[in-house]
Amino acid sequence: MGADSKARIREFVLDNIPETELADDDDIFERGLVRSMFVMQLVVFVEQEFGVQITGDDLRFDHFRSVDRVDELVARKLASV
Amino acid sequence: MRALRVALAESVPVDLAPELAKRLFFVSSAIAEFDLVAQGGVVNAVDLVISDDVEESAIAVKIGKVVAAEVLTQRPLPPRQVWRSPVTATFVDPFPELLASDTAFVAGEGQVGFGEPLLSLVDYLDARLRSIALGLPRSREFRYPTLLPTSVLDRFGYFGSFPQFAMFVTRLHNDIDVYGDFVERYRAEGHLPDTLFEQCGDKEYCLPPTMCYHTYHQYTGRQLPQEMVVTARGKSFRHESRYHTSMERLWDFTIREIVFLGGEDFATECRNAVMAQAYALLEELELAGFCEVANDHFFGNADTAGKILTQRVMELKFELRVPVAEDRDIAVGSFNLHGRFFGESFGITDSAGSPTASGCVGFGLERLAYAFLCQHGADPAGWPTAVTDRIGDPGAARPHH
Repeated sequence: MGADSKARIREFVLDNIPETELADDDDIFERGLVRSMFVMQLVVFVEQEFGVQITGDDLRFDHFRSVDRVDELVARKLASV
Repeated sequence: MRALRVALAESVPVDLAPELAKRLFFVSSAIAEFDLVAQGGVVNAVDLVISDDVEESAIAVKIGKVVAAEVLTQRPLPPRQVWRSPVTATFVDPFPELLASDTAFVAGEGQVGFGEPLLSLVDYLDARLRSIALGLPRSREFRYPTLLPTSVLDRFGYFGSFPQFAMFVTRLHNDIDVYGDFVERYRAEGHLPDTLFEQCGDKEYCLPPTMCYHTYHQYTGRQLPQEMVVTARGKSFRHESRYHTSMERLWDFTIREIVFLGGEDFATECRNAVMAQAYALLEELELAGFCEVANDHFFGNADTAGKILTQRVMELKFELRVPVAEDRDIAVGSFNLHGRFFGESFGITDSAGSPTASGCVGFGLERLAYAFLCQHGADPAGWPTAVTDRIGDPGAARPHH
């Protein structure tokens, strides 16, 4: 389950960056791989892909910085559904 | 004028009420006043005062459009304060006294002229902010012309994001026949012709909405050997559709701007350094206030919700807000990071040839001074000594009666 969601997140990020390799703990924003608007695409992706709602305090940048962090957020949201 | 209540086709959660409020005056120039009607956690109607020449249904349609396209598409985010002044303020409305003492002069909508002691206060506040700017690494000051080429705003899509603020500068097109026809009609009719703008095709210049665009213009296509800071003070203009008679919101105002050009870390460090010093200045001025995550007033655009969410989630914009009454505060400064957006848009590169990152900080000088008067009064005798000691003899700054 965790491995599967992480793979889906990684695939989405890789589809949207110029590079073909990405470590799960790489800060995708700090490395300048994406424009800032990508955070919005990530939010929408997570909601649609995993059927969860990202609102309020979950909308913190720290949750979207790397594949690992997004996966942690997804796991937490799925656990609370 | 008539008052009426317009029910909203789709109700708006109260968390998003500010986003509706800041757009309402831009919905139609017929709206003179408004109040949001909230019940059970949602805004379900708007009380309006509108001019007589418009249909109620037409206004309702326009409001519905903005609610659906630009308000409900947003995700409510809880306010996030990052600093709060320890000062507790009491408030006065200083404007009647400023007018009575001939210190302030209302020149037009959102336009206020002023003299002493306000003049010395504004200059003092600017001097303090300027010295914060000049204390940053490799900082330089410039004075820019007021006019800004329209092409500068066009270059990064300003008009697609903020059509409501744009101010175009035009003139009678330079052609002997245009002048001749204009003068003939002006003399015959005794007033400016209704078709005046048909003779004013020129739109190459704008009034600047803020100072930093002059700086990106200045460094367009240039490679910066080092990271650098630029500060400038100048007149800025944002049309906000309705103005109350005070100095809280002005159409024509002065910004002290500080622009950071370099790597993302440099821009972030400079921004944070200015934030910390601005907090210290507010405390020294004995002002209540706070700093919180904010967003720009994007308008009339399908990307509005995405841009606002991005700004807020990534904390790209903070506003320093100072209360001017028990129930009201105004932004006196904003602290912004842009990523490489302006570096890419203007072809400004670092020593390695990559687009530079940027950030900027802007302080509204009249607003800051006005907020100071709201908390300390119009008479320098009531101002903190930290200010009066440095401005000089407060008696000398008093207006002449």
